[in-house]
Amino acid sequence: MVTVVTMPKFGWTMTEGKIVRWLKKEGDAVRKGEPLFEIETEKMETEVEAIASGVLKKILAPEGSVVEVAKPIAIICEPGEELPPLEAILQGAPAPGEGVPRAEVSEEAAAPAKPPKPARASPLAKRIAAEHGIDLSALEGTGPGGLIVKEDVLRAIEAKRAAEAKPAAVEERAEPRPAEAPREEAIPGLPKAGKVIPLEGMRKAIADRLSLSARTAVRVTITAEVDMTEAVRFREQLAEEVERRSKARLSFTHMAIKAAAKALERHPIINSLLIGNEIRIMDEINVGFAVALEEGLMVPVIRNANRKSLFEIASEANELAERARKRELSPSDVADGTFTITNLGMYGVEDFTPVINPPQTAILGIGRIAQRPAVVDGRIEPRWIARLSLAFDHRAYDGVPAAQFLQTLKGILERPYELLV
Amino acid sequence: MSSREITYAEAIREALREEMARDARVFILGEDVGVFGGIFGVTKGLLAEFGEERVRDTPISELGIIGLSVGAAAVGMRPVPEIMFADLLPLCMEQIVNQAAKMHYMFGGKIKIPITIRVPQGAGRRTAAQHSQCLDAWFVHVPGLKVVAPSTPYDAKGLLKASIRDDNPVIFFEHKMLYRMRGPVPEGEYLIPLGRADVKREGSDATIVATSLMVHRALEAAAELAGEGISVEVIDPRTLSPLDRGAILGSVRKTGRLIIAEEACRTGGFGAEVAAIAAEEAIDALDAPIRRVAAFDVPIPFSPPLEDYVIPDKKRIIEAVRSVV
Amino acid sequence: MELDREKLLEMYRKMVTIRRFEEKVAELNARGVFPGLAHLYIGEEAVAVGACSALRADDLITSTHRGHGHCIAKGCDLKPMMAELLGRYTGYCKGKGGSMHICDFDRGILGANGIVGSNIPIAAGAALGIKMMRQDRVVLCFFGDGASNGGSFHEGLNFASIWKLPVVFVCEHNMYAISMPTKKSTSVANIADRASAYGMPGEVVDGQDVLAVYEAAWRAVARARRGDGPSLLECKTYRFRGHHEGDPGRGTTYRSREEMELWEARCPIRLFKAKLAQMGILDEELAKGIEEEVSRAIEEAVEFAMASPFPPLESALEDVYA
Repeated sequence: MVTVVTMPKFGWTMTEGKIVRWLKKEGDAVRKGEPLFEIETEKMETEVEAIASGVLKKILAPEGSVVEVAKPIAIICEPGEELPPLEAILQGAPAPGEGVPRAEVSEEAAAPAKPPKPARASPLAKRIAAEHGIDLSALEGTGPGGLIVKEDVLRAIEAKRAAEAKPAAVEERAEPRPAEAPREEAIPGLPKAGKVIPLEGMRKAIADRLSLSARTAVRVTITAEVDMTEAVRFREQLAEEVERRSKARLSFTHMAIKAAAKALERHPIINSLLIGNEIRIMDEINVGFAVALEEGLMVPVIRNANRKSLFEIASEANELAERARKRELSPSDVADGTFTITNLGMYGVEDFTPVINPPQTAILGIGRIAQRPAVVDGRIEPRWIARLSLAFDHRAYDGVPAAQFLQTLKGILERPYELLV
Repeated sequence: MSSREITYAEAIREALREEMARDARVFILGEDVGVFGGIFGVTKGLLAEFGEERVRDTPISELGIIGLSVGAAAVGMRPVPEIMFADLLPLCMEQIVNQAAKMHYMFGGKIKIPITIRVPQGAGRRTAAQHSQCLDAWFVHVPGLKVVAPSTPYDAKGLLKASIRDDNPVIFFEHKMLYRMRGPVPEGEYLIPLGRADVKREGSDATIVATSLMVHRALEAAAELAGEGISVEVIDPRTLSPLDRGAILGSVRKTGRLIIAEEACRTGGFGAEVAAIAAEEAIDALDAPIRRVAAFDVPIPFSPPLEDYVIPDKKRIIEAVRSVV
Repeated sequence: MELDREKLLEMYRKMVTIRRFEEKVAELNARGVFPGLAHLYIGEEAVAVGACSALRADDLITSTHRGHGHCIAKGCDLKPMMAELLGRYTGYCKGKGGSMHICDFDRGILGANGIVGSNIPIAAGAALGIKMMRQDRVVLCFFGDGASNGGSFHEGLNFASIWKLPVVFVCEHNMYAISMPTKKSTSVANIADRASAYGMPGEVVDGQDVLAVYEAAWRAVARARRGDGPSLLECKTYRFRGHHEGDPGRGTTYRSREEMELWEARCPIRLFKAKLAQMGILDEELAKGIEEEVSRAIEEAVEFAMASPFPPLESALEDVYA
């Protein structure tokens, strides 16, 4: 029996992956469950296991190619079985039982995803589109009642050919993706670059997602100053205990995760995803936190952060950060976040306007915790102050709920003993 | 073979005359077909030429006319009965459907019923609800019958000769509005095989399958649409059953658009059958919805503006084509 | 035509054959072996045999749903007949017709018809064809009292009369059309009276007396053969069983026991047997011999039919067109 291997989908927002490495050659024997290839997505790099045993009969997407989720990338046959005609397979029928680790919410959220929306097209148009790999949902129909007709598809095929005729931007790309970036030479007067980092792989994925967020989210950032003096003291007192119990160093980020989780319990609207036309208030509070890497950043997620103790969060977060730096994060480590925290404080940043991680509706940026003069009971005292920047998507909710959330969060951090309950 | 122009009625008369001269077993019977020469004048002169035995005037007795034809055919004659109006066919449906159509099958192939029933049909003469119908669809639905509907004098003569020579029961629908139509008909002997359609006009943007009088409306529509740069192909099935599916499907695959133009009312009509065939066998060639142009689902009204409104015309066909290109 | 001993015995044998054949069909039906409906001719044997005995081998008949008797009387072969009744490929119609549509063209059987009365215009048409072909054959058309009220009867008889067609119309008046008695359905007590409405001679005949039927039929056939046109014979008869096998009580829901017993006392076979005995033509031994022969022939027919294959499925798609 023939098994079509397709690009798996990890997490809500993954739309495409880059094949980094094939761990087997064409003709090799394959055992179900053993690693078959490595992919890189915007969030992480990971190995993918073979979904069937047999022989890796054909690799359709070579190393370096970027493939949409669910599109075919290889074929596994039973030993001695002939390769079936590829035409039908290449039209992109997803294989049964391919690696989608958990039930996903609708894919309508991010534009780079191409959801299988039924397009109104004539049967002839559908056939021609299928033969040429044209996505009907992207077309405007000029037929009766807006029906997509043959002419419309032929035009799309022409356009696609024209786009493919343009050379790849900077580095040659493997099939099946046409390049979209303009040639350097097309912009007159540009000085020559010293080093070129292609906008692809994780970088491109991040670029795409954040572009989308910037384009579609109505982002408002509100800031609040938090008196972190108690939090600092709290952390000092607990640090030893935490390290003893969980072998982890307690950081302000960990405290912020817990604080945010508790605040999200009280302000569920902030713990929401904006997908298509729906604001989905999520039951799970999964707080992601940004981990900086050399070439980008990863956002591992602490699931059900509201139900974990500070110690558990510290332990888990440390472990995740460790793995992130070693590129050992699994897809489930970065999936399903409902809220994100990003801490640039250690780099001296006071406040900033972080980009929301779609389809989430808010992101918390933590700035530098530093001693500043503050007025306490009429006297001027040095206090540890940090600025929290909450960027939220105004489409999902308005300033007041966001501000209320931020106020709650500030309150928890200013009386950090709450973090222990 | 030279070509001269004669009317549709004359072409039919010639066919009858030639077949009766050729085969003594062929004879005509019907109401007013002899002395009167047929109420549309089609059989004029045949009584004088062939005599009372072979051109028989009958009582008003549709059941009897067809029943007797069946019996005579069973013993080896080749009767060509006429039923004066399609609207009268229900009176002899039983003999057509239960007897003529089934005897060859039921009796294991032992008996042949080579009758050709000539039936004037159609509206346009202000003859109202009971003298204006097109009922060809009913008979397309009966296995064992053949249904023919010529649209030109050339087709009428060739098809009638072929029908008379066919060993099966054939219902031959003549449109009353076509009797006076003139058209080229060669002098010599020719037959048109049953079951073969005719491309009356070639085109590439849309296919119109039209029957009987509607072939002409479709051709008129096609001529006008050509002026707009729309190239319409007109297919005349000529034989409605057995249908030349290959010709129709080939055209649909070429143009991607199918319109059926028939005079009978829309629901459950012949157009529905053609549309189903196209949808079943050429769905991925269709670039637009299939359209049927047919009479409204009403009895044919008497008053001239009403009759003209109900029956499809060139304009309705043009609109249908425009709606899909 | 004078009837010699051989001919008389032949008539007797045919009547017995019909009776035993129909009884066998009833038995097969009761055993659940018989597909579809069976309309039995038991009690009416004298009409079919009397009328058909007046025909030449090349004359034609049209028959009805109650037509086994007509077909046997006209000379059908029992084997393909039984095979057809049981839906076998070796049947007269390759299994496509069944009981109501037996056809043996070579023996002049133009086909049995399941639509009441529809064979009347067809018979007239066959006679028309024969006349036009200048043949001297005659068509005999069997139909029942129910058919005489339908349009086919009126149009068929009218045509036969105006065109002087060589057809003899034989009405088997058994008094009931399924459950409808003629005294309620028919405007005349004697259907033969309708003959004059169509300009042809009409005659009432005792349908249980095979020689009476024969005699009347012979005269009508001769009239037709010499070109003098059609006739209508009305044979008063009775079906001893129900309209079809399965008719409750063999028809007692609409017929009285007394009436049935009265008619059964006039069994045409018993009457003819007695007559033949009186004429010194038939004795017990001979009668027994005939019974045995008939019984054997029927058994063989059943064996033949049961051993025959059903038609191949593709044959369902054949013979739609000639």
